Amino acid sequence: MDLSKLSPKQLLEIDACTRCGDCLRFCPVYSQRTEEAINPRGKIQAMKKFLRGQYGLWARVFGKKKLDEAELEKFSEMAYRCTLCGECSVQCPVSIDSRSLWLAFKEILVELGHYPKNLGVMKKNVLAKYNISGDSNSSRTDWLDRFENLPPHRYQKDRAEVVYFVGCVSAYFPMAHKVPQSFLQILERSWVDFTLLGGEEWCCGFPLIGAGFKREIEGFIRHNIEGVKAKGARTVVFSCPSCYHTWQEHYHTDLNLFDSTQFVLNLIQKGKIRFQEERIKVTYHDPCDLGRQSGIYDAPRKILQSIPGVELVELAHHGEQSKCCGGGGLLEMVDPELSISLAREKIKEIEATGTNLVISACQQCTRTIQSTARRMKVPLKVMYITEFVLKHMQ
Amino acid sequence: MDKHLIFYAMFIPSMVLFFWGLWFRVSLYLRGTLKGSEETTQWGKLIILLGRGWQGFWKRPLWYLKIVITDVIFHKKLFRESFYRWLTHTLLVVGFVATFVVDMIKGFTTGYLVEWSHSIPFFSFAHAFKTGSIRPFLDFFLEFFSFLILIGCILAMIRRFFIRPDQLRTEEEDIVTLVFILYMVASGFFIEGYRIAHPEVAANRVYMADFTPASANNWISFFGYFLSLFMKNITLNPHFLWYVHVIPCLVWFVYIPHSKLLHIFTSSVTVIADRANQKPHAKVQ
Repeated sequence: MDLSKLSPKQLLEIDACTRCGDCLRFCPVYSQRTEEAINPRGKIQAMKKFLRGQYGLWARVFGKKKLDEAELEKFSEMAYRCTLCGECSVQCPVSIDSRSLWLAFKEILVELGHYPKNLGVMKKNVLAKYNISGDSNSSRTDWLDRFENLPPHRYQKDRAEVVYFVGCVSAYFPMAHKVPQSFLQILERSWVDFTLLGGEEWCCGFPLIGAGFKREIEGFIRHNIEGVKAKGARTVVFSCPSCYHTWQEHYHTDLNLFDSTQFVLNLIQKGKIRFQEERIKVTYHDPCDLGRQSGIYDAPRKILQSIPGVELVELAHHGEQSKCCGGGGLLEMVDPELSISLAREKIKEIEATGTNLVISACQQCTRTIQSTARRMKVPLKVMYITEFVLKHMQ
Repeated sequence: MDKHLIFYAMFIPSMVLFFWGLWFRVSLYLRGTLKGSEETTQWGKLIILLGRGWQGFWKRPLWYLKIVITDVIFHKKLFRESFYRWLTHTLLVVGFVATFVVDMIKGFTTGYLVEWSHSIPFFSFAHAFKTGSIRPFLDFFLEFFSFLILIGCILAMIRRFFIRPDQLRTEEEDIVTLVFILYMVASGFFIEGYRIAHPEVAANRVYMADFTPASANNWISFFGYFLSLFMKNITLNPHFLWYVHVIPCLVWFVYIPHSKLLHIFTSSVTVIADRANQKPHAKVQ
């Protein structure tokens, strides 16, 4: 087993786990599938066992133990059934950065050839078409077709101050089209000088990182940064928290990066957005990649609170303690049933607030919650935050 | 044979094995990839990491000290989670750390400084630590902090073996670790009780340490004194008692790097690293 995918800190973290089991109480996947090996403690212990067999005292004296293929397969099954929500990292008493560990474990598993085959297909699509859908990348802006009287440039100007990086899910999944459609209208009505990258926008690389193919993302990073700079823009705004987080974490750029909630709040504070009143009770779901991963909790709440008449009822688990909706970490691709069972829990939590409108700031969360609510025949309305903002704009 | 000689004959190899064990673990960590220094040797990586730690520390030393106290020793995060677990952990950590510190002070002053004071008068203050007014306090604090370890260990055992929360999985290693700690502290108090119950043991200098006057035992060595009340009629070989306490203590040291007790070091690093790299809640630009 090659340790180069792990950092010294991560190897130390594997030893730092005391098996206290606190993570078990918070892991959303474990709450649905109570197998020891699937929870954070189980995964760390499994890796510890592999390491001991390869690098332990016994191995150094008598030679490395051959990796057991069945054990690796089981480990892979468990490691890929994770939403990467990162709640284990937040709750761990000894603050193990477990989310980064899961990503590193996946890289090791990819190297060893133990990963779900459909993720291999996804990788091929992304590498060949530059998006996760497998459709042509030139159809990235098909969601614009809903608009009448589109300007000739179709919002793909040669130069602009701001680039709106739409992301694959919003661009290709019809259920999420309302996200860019609403955000684009907000930008336009607020007189923001923005452009889309259109077919020149490539996947941010998050699906590759999440699946363990991190080494493939360099070209994507370079292309996207060059694309933004070619427009003369200094600012990139995202409506996808995973894209935002990936740029923040892996792009190492001097560009100014904003999530849509930060950007919209800024427009509100500058007086460019004004609202009309509506007496309504809503709840807000913190997306994992926006909240725990990027530390953005206040901006969406401030937006909601700035709309007259809106009463925000917090979920039982919110902020850092927010429960994943099940849509994260490619779980939907690997084990759709498990993903749905997590979403069901989320919906129960939403219902307990007594509201029937949930706002989120992630296209994947809104898609997951909405589709599961439909399956459950729950009359729940799910809106992306810019949809809600647009609806209330004067 | 002189107890000091015997002790050091066992202590030095134990420490060699302890540090070798630590290096064995650290050398594994150093096989990982250090971003920006991928081709560096293990020693090179260690130097880079230590350098980063050193520089980081001196940028805000007080902040780091605060984190060590609040988040490592007094485990603030655990306090928010469960008072029982926090109390158990704190008693064990504070007990061990404080016992270690007081023991070091005692050993250094009563051993080295007193010795040096014969040639360097400046160090004559150290006599207060050996036979003077400070000595009873040193002994009292050693007793007190060891007692905290005992209470912490008992609480940990109650939780693991009787309360048994669902999240806890007890493995052989957990049992060994707790029994080890309990044995070390209990055997220490037992010897102390025996020594108090049998003044001839101290008078014959069977053990290494000098002791405070027997008249003060009831408050200085309060738990040992309590146990001594039941030991007046028991006769054991005091040398044997000393060995059954000291040898397991040294074995325990050797065991640390190969057991979950390693988290004493590793978890301290993860907690400090986490706090140092913590992202503030993103501010609206």
